[in-house]
Amino acid sequence: MRSEQEIFEHLKGVLVELFEIEPAKITPQAHLYQDLDIDSIDAIDLILKLKDYTGTKMQPDEFKNVRTVGDVVDAIRTLVAS
Amino acid sequence: MTLPSLAVAAPRSRVDHLWRLFGTGLSFVCFGLGGVLISLTLFPLIRLFSWNRERCRRRIQRAMHHTFRLFVWLMTRLGVISWEVHGRERLLQPGQLVVANHPTLIDVVLIIALMPEVDCIVKQALFRNPFLRWPVAWAGYIPNRESGALIDDCARALRAGRSLLVFPEGTRTIPGQPMALKRGAAQIALAAGCPLRPVGITCRPLMLTKYEPWYRIPPRPGHWRLEVGEALPVADVGAGAGGQALAARRLTQQLAAQFSPYAQACSWV
Repeated sequence: MRSEQEIFEHLKGVLVELFEIEPAKITPQAHLYQDLDIDSIDAIDLILKLKDYTGTKMQPDEFKNVRTVGDVVDAIRTLVAS
Repeated sequence: MTLPSLAVAAPRSRVDHLWRLFGTGLSFVCFGLGGVLISLTLFPLIRLFSWNRERCRRRIQRAMHHTFRLFVWLMTRLGVISWEVHGRERLLQPGQLVVANHPTLIDVVLIIALMPEVDCIVKQALFRNPFLRWPVAWAGYIPNRESGALIDDCARALRAGRSLLVFPEGTRTIPGQPMALKRGAAQIALAAGCPLRPVGITCRPLMLTKYEPWYRIPPRPGHWRLEVGEALPVADVGAGAGGQALAARRLTQQLAAQFSPYAQACSWV
């Protein structure tokens, strides 16, 4: 079972690698669209990339309510737990 | 000696102002009424005589092109606007993604007036508009659906060898405000593997901007300068670890740098 902190650190690494986002900007409260400039096309790439990590693919529906980095961490936790 | 000429100059400039105000209003009326009229006559006729879907699409697009040329001619003849174009021949190459900055209302009209055949992205609402729904469908224009589907539609058109016009700003940028480009245009170019053809648009003195009513006309006729630039090759953008997402970011930055001088050269005087 991965801890919340582990998941967050991994996600941070993915965001930096995929989108070259400044690591300092990535906080649990950071808003994906407004603060990190991640658009809907990026979200698809992100979901694909996270599939390698979680082993199961997140459904776009599950990603719909995701607003912040913290929401993504929660979504991953739910996915891994289920 | 100078007094008489001054006395003449003042009323003349008022007449000039009123004339251009009238001309601008007339242009709007012609555009609206002409659009409805053509949608009810010329376009259905073209459709009637072009059963082949592809041929119909090309004919409708050419009709749009000539209509817009006529409209631009009207506006220039009325003395409401003037324009100059540099590198027009570059627009005639098929299968390229034409991207432009978007300071004014008539940018799209000017570019279509330069391109006999070009696909456009139009608001989905137009596909429900009683007058325009059929013409936009016959012209093969692409509705701005959900972004993933839209990018697929656009890439398909480009791969079929058609050219497509996109304004990466998404809407007119208010002059003086920083230009924020959406990454959709870059994503389309990457998906289709086609070059981006930038058109830098400058309007001076500015008119027909966003949030500015049509009757707010400048002291002189607005002058549009369109410069068609060198194509930005999409293959040059290193895919790197991030792949498409990063490539789209880099390409969009390149585009912003390309457009920035044209947007900054727009001015109210």
